[in-house]
Amino acid sequence: MRKLLAVWLGKILTVIGKLAGKKSSSSPGHYALKICPDLVGCIEKYVSKGIIVTCGTNGKTTTNNLMASALEAKGYKVLCNRLGANMLSGVATAVLQEMNIFGRFKADYACLEVDEAYTPIVFEHIKPDVMVITNLFRDQLDRYGEIDITSDIIKRAVAKAPNAKLVLNGDDPLCVQFGRCEGVTAYYYGISEQVLPQLDDTKEGRFCPVCGAEQHYNFYHYSQLGDFRCPDCGFARPPIDFEVKNVSLGTPMKFSINGKDMSVNYKGFYNIYNLTAVYAALNVLGETADDFAGLLAAYKPQIGRMEEYAFNKPVILSLSKNPAGFNQAIATVNTDKRQKDVIIAINDKANDGRDVSWLWDVDFDKIADENLNTLTTTGIRVYDISLRFKYAGINVDKITHDMTDAVKTCLATDSEVVYVLVNYTALYPTEAVLKKLGGRT
Amino acid sequence: MMKIKILHLYPDLLNLYGDKGNIECMRSRLERRGIEAQVVSYTCEDTGFDLSDVDIVFIGGGSDREQKIVCGRLLEHKNAIKDYAENGGVIVAVCGGYQLLGKYYRLEDETIEGLGILDIYTEQGKKRLIGNIVLEADFTDEKIVGFENHGGRTYIGDHKPLGRVLYGFGNDEKSGAEGVVYKNVVATYLHGPLLPKNPALCDHILTAAVKRADPDFTELAPLDDELEKKANEYIVNRFVK
Repeated sequence: MRKLLAVWLGKILTVIGKLAGKKSSSSPGHYALKICPDLVGCIEKYVSKGIIVTCGTNGKTTTNNLMASALEAKGYKVLCNRLGANMLSGVATAVLQEMNIFGRFKADYACLEVDEAYTPIVFEHIKPDVMVITNLFRDQLDRYGEIDITSDIIKRAVAKAPNAKLVLNGDDPLCVQFGRCEGVTAYYYGISEQVLPQLDDTKEGRFCPVCGAEQHYNFYHYSQLGDFRCPDCGFARPPIDFEVKNVSLGTPMKFSINGKDMSVNYKGFYNIYNLTAVYAALNVLGETADDFAGLLAAYKPQIGRMEEYAFNKPVILSLSKNPAGFNQAIATVNTDKRQKDVIIAINDKANDGRDVSWLWDVDFDKIADENLNTLTTTGIRVYDISLRFKYAGINVDKITHDMTDAVKTCLATDSEVVYVLVNYTALYPTEAVLKKLGGRT
Repeated sequence: MMKIKILHLYPDLLNLYGDKGNIECMRSRLERRGIEAQVVSYTCEDTGFDLSDVDIVFIGGGSDREQKIVCGRLLEHKNAIKDYAENGGVIVAVCGGYQLLGKYYRLEDETIEGLGILDIYTEQGKKRLIGNIVLEADFTDEKIVGFENHGGRTYIGDHKPLGRVLYGFGNDEKSGAEGVVYKNVVATYLHGPLLPKNPALCDHILTAAVKRADPDFTELAPLDDELEKKANEYIVNRFVK
């Protein structure tokens, strides 16, 4: 009975939220959980084939949603928290939305993105069949404290789901350590050749998670991802089960997984990891992925993932949440050789991380290449990001508190393309500005 | 041309929270005054330890694990660092670096021995102290702003704090004091990073270093700090006024 009450309350809140024009991604679940704390537990009951949980610092929304799309393209019914609300309340909201008024639903698979910090809590209610861990980077430090703390939290979660098969990024030593937890079955995916220039960017996880010594790399991709080996204890990149080779970063992006050629319309090297994680998870589930490209075609990226808005020239919106993400976004901007204006918006709300120190760990100075036309800074912490550029010796053309003003100014220049790089809470307001100004997606 | 040598201790281990911004800030503010800044890193792979020609030592923060590794290594150079500090050498220590300068850091299950340069000690508290912080200090009218994120409570005894807490937690959550200033040692929990948004504090530190290198030196030339002041005042206005 409590469950039914919770379901009705949740449904009513969802409707109210919709009437109020809100994206109710977690609040209905939040209140429903107060009435029925084990609401999420019924996923076990109503999902027939399997539960896949995806966590990790970067790429989890893309990976999780791609996975759901691929399974749907195979004809399955999938429960998925698509909006990226990834705490217990977000998962509960996804369940509510799937349920009928009798509190029941039917699905073949559940694809759930779960915030690293909430994995032990979510695993109190459900035991996943497959757990994908994409990577661990420094993120929102004021919430987690430190990356070691996040690792410990995930280890606790892994211990709670002893039957879950782990699908791990084999290029990330911080992920590979979970494959050494007692009793786990782990599968690894990785990119087995040097693709990018070997830059000396911030490698926060370059110390061996087992013994603390500095690891050696045959090559690396970005941050601490690469072909690593600890000279002291021998902890090393494991044999890779799903191996990427023959990478070409053009449009379309091309690569092979275990010798199978892929050609995809995605921007950004990091998306190879997201796609390969999905491929690996599908295989581990026992689902064939023969027509992988076809399975992916149905997928619509979430907003802000190098999302293009059409104006008199394209405006490309990119969300980054942490140094590794920003460095990757900047690298992707740099591969575009058109004359460009760049806008960077930095907020410091709770979901962004209130501490903006990380701005100094991003290689923002790389944005100033020969194709940069103008640089604009904005957001709540506009002065902090502007200072970051000042001390990098890079001129900021415009400092403004107003995103509309920033976009309009860039639309009026003679550049060929505009990139808008934002962190989390700047994303939706920026999307609203671009739509209001008439940008079509 | 005058030259100031900045030694960055273990940037390979202690590099959390954008601390390299502090180095860039000191370098830039020296160079814009026509003073050459030489930044040298001392990493795990370096041997020998010589502070005789060093003007500023910087120690940043790291995770507990990394801090433990650094501590073991730094203890080998304890006497050299202590002599340097006692003789007026400039040290800027942030967060983990601050804790390392004390006598010890007591964690739940072990105690990490510190360098004992400051007569202070740190104990692990229950909750991490996290948030924006604003201080007032007696050497400048400009407020000192930053972001603190520490599990340790540091007890500074008779030492003089860097500032009084106007907003935030400070050394131990209760005393209203933040950081320590001892001779030319400035130790604090403030990230942000510390120096770019606090130009008066940065210049205070640089002045001490330049004066030590050249006793006839009087003061640093003013710089255009409009943007720095805006960033600083934004935090002050948001949290204090």
